[in-house]
Amino acid sequence: MNAALEAEGLVKRYGARTAVRDLSFSVPQGAIYGVLGPNGAGKSTTLRMLVGVLRPTEGRICVLGGPVTRDALKRVGYLPEERGLYRSMSARAAIAYLARLKGTPAGKAFKRADQLLADHGLDKVRRKKIKTLSKGMAQKVQVLAAIAHEPDLIIFDEPFSGLDPVNQRVLEDTIRAQAAAGRTILFSTHVMEHAERLCDRILLIAHGSAAFEGTVPQALALAPSVAMLETDGAFDLAAALAPRGFNISFDGEEHGNKRWRAKLENGHDSRQLLQACVEAGAPLSLFEPARASLHEAFVALVGDKAMPGPVE
Amino acid sequence: MSLSPILLVARRDYFAYVGAWGFWLSLLTAPVILAVLIFAPVMLARAEPPRVLTIVAERAEDGAQVAAAFDDLSLRSARAEIFAYLAATAPALTEPALAAFDAAPDRTAGIAAARSVVAERAPRALAAFPQPSPRYVIAPAPAQGIDVLRPYLDGTRTLPDGRQLFGALNIRREAGAPVIEYWSVNLSHEEPSNIAHRAMRLAMQREALAGQGLDPGEADRLNGFDPRIVQFDPRPGAGDGEVTARQRAPAFAALALAFILWSVVFSVANMLLSGVIEEKSNKILDTILTSVTPLEMLIGKLLGVAAVSATLFLFWGALGGVLLSTAATQLGDSIFGQVAAAFLEPRLLAAFAVGFIAGYLMYGAIFLALGSLCESIQEAQTLLGPVALVLAIPMMLVMPALDNPNAPIIQAASWFPLFTPFLLLMRAPAGLAWIEIAGMGAVMLVSVIVILMLAARVFKAGVVDQVSMSSWFGRKAKG
Repeated sequence: MNAALEAEGLVKRYGARTAVRDLSFSVPQGAIYGVLGPNGAGKSTTLRMLVGVLRPTEGRICVLGGPVTRDALKRVGYLPEERGLYRSMSARAAIAYLARLKGTPAGKAFKRADQLLADHGLDKVRRKKIKTLSKGMAQKVQVLAAIAHEPDLIIFDEPFSGLDPVNQRVLEDTIRAQAAAGRTILFSTHVMEHAERLCDRILLIAHGSAAFEGTVPQALALAPSVAMLETDGAFDLAAALAPRGFNISFDGEEHGNKRWRAKLENGHDSRQLLQACVEAGAPLSLFEPARASLHEAFVALVGDKAMPGPVE
Repeated sequence: MSLSPILLVARRDYFAYVGAWGFWLSLLTAPVILAVLIFAPVMLARAEPPRVLTIVAERAEDGAQVAAAFDDLSLRSARAEIFAYLAATAPALTEPALAAFDAAPDRTAGIAAARSVVAERAPRALAAFPQPSPRYVIAPAPAQGIDVLRPYLDGTRTLPDGRQLFGALNIRREAGAPVIEYWSVNLSHEEPSNIAHRAMRLAMQREALAGQGLDPGEADRLNGFDPRIVQFDPRPGAGDGEVTARQRAPAFAALALAFILWSVVFSVANMLLSGVIEEKSNKILDTILTSVTPLEMLIGKLLGVAAVSATLFLFWGALGGVLLSTAATQLGDSIFGQVAAAFLEPRLLAAFAVGFIAGYLMYGAIFLALGSLCESIQEAQTLLGPVALVLAIPMMLVMPALDNPNAPIIQAASWFPLFTPFLLLMRAPAGLAWIEIAGMGAVMLVSVIVILMLAARVFKAGVVDQVSMSSWFGRKAKG
């Protein structure tokens, strides 16, 4: 499949500080691509380089088959992390203005703005000034402004931040709809659940460097599976299963029962764990195998210190 | 660089400003405010009641001399006020009306006589005929001795008729020579003591002549010598060379235009400054910068606010043009008519237009660049403090330029591009060589280009790399 976006050996330095170092990745056409990493990892700097706002210190970027030129960027929609609109403009005028800056003729830009606002339930506020809209509504208008010129490549920087759960779900649907229409979407986030639900491929950045690039299942495969267990009474499950090669840690006590967390490593799976418990005579009251999350995959890849904060 | 995004940015900025109610308020109120600024001091001066003085003198004849001097001042100021009014409104009546004034026995009768001449020959001019009020009136001293007068002077007591005493002149003699003491809480107002000083000097001259056995009235005759002064302009094309108000008027018109130019340039430059700070705080810039380069954005913003200025000038220019043309036509040879005509002189208007374009582009670009480095209006204000002090220099130079437009310091300063727009205007009435005009034009053009390029770099650093005043020594980058 052709790449909608390619970055090769990207480096961005600010004086002595290196914000992005030797970053290479490729976004296939039509894919939903996630750039993940904790705050300060270099995600926004990378995205700003992709859309030509920042010039890379080193490296090469190929957008829609060519270099980052004005014409190429007309086919790119961008929602920056630091975002806002002219507060005294109406919603439709703001969307149309940004579409016109991307080369859409005036008449078509206003028609498209009206259509998008109607499709997203904002028909009633289309003539209202941005400053009169709620924060969530204004953010929806900004997302619409980024896609109003019908770009082939859409780049969203932390699009979910500041949205309530309902609007986060609406935005996920919008992203899926754009992908279904054949567009390529790249978005950054530090909330793993969004990436896990939406992305075909992901790039994990830590300290400005790529820690992983591939599909979500590939990333999950890198994380050890776990199982949650509960035993009655004073039974010490960790001690009982240690000789059998299982890594089990005490996770607290509840209603007189002990909770345990087992990491399934060294080729062990949940079935073998259950069998070992039975053989050790463990008084189990709960056995709950759990699939590894992206969060755990990333902990496995980069360690706790470089990990994103709590899920929003 | 592409024209389309520049025009879109300019168009958006233009309509954003024109759509604000503050724009219309400025558009409509500025002429009113200007008129108030021009006429208010005159009206306030006229509305102020006469200042009440009292005279205490060791010798009665000294007191009478000084009181007569104040009467004479009041007479002459009334005559001057009538002259100024008639010169502006009915120049043909100036001579007969003043002859009638001079023939009258006193001030009140003189005003009435001049008024009756106007009533007879041009009744329409009576509508605003001045009612001159004396600047000072002399009241009898409520008490003798300056120490007793102190409560009246410091506001503790009023005169028997309820008026407040403005000041007191105490004329005493020391070894036969007069000493004038002026007592007043208005410490910076020295006119009454100067009037008394002139009066007593004349009295001393009379005494000296009388002491020599000569006619004391000779002192008045000697004091009345008043040689006629005629000023000439030696330059070719200056006609018979005699300088009249018509020749001087363009210099005063240039002064007024220089102040207007300075005010407008800095008003619109401030609009740019606050506009870019607002955009930074609205966080709109990253979105726009994927479609527009920083240089295009800077030029677009300059064009947008230039269009706002053009709208203001079209309105004010049309209004002012009509008023000035009417004044120049209707008031003809009067001082007001000549000053009005001077404002419409093509060389002054051309200098104003060139000065505005160059000044706006230079200062506008600088203010935009500064704005891009600030996170808030408060931060910009702290930055603008020292900048404003530097920018005040051309305004400090316009008064010396009015006095001598060809002084070496004015000539040198007029080549400094940031001052050129204002000093070119001030020097225009004195006649500039074409080579100088072309040279200054070239300097301004090069400066505009250099400043725009530098400003674009600073602007880019401010809006793209997020360099700010607070992070000047350590650029911050987002992760």
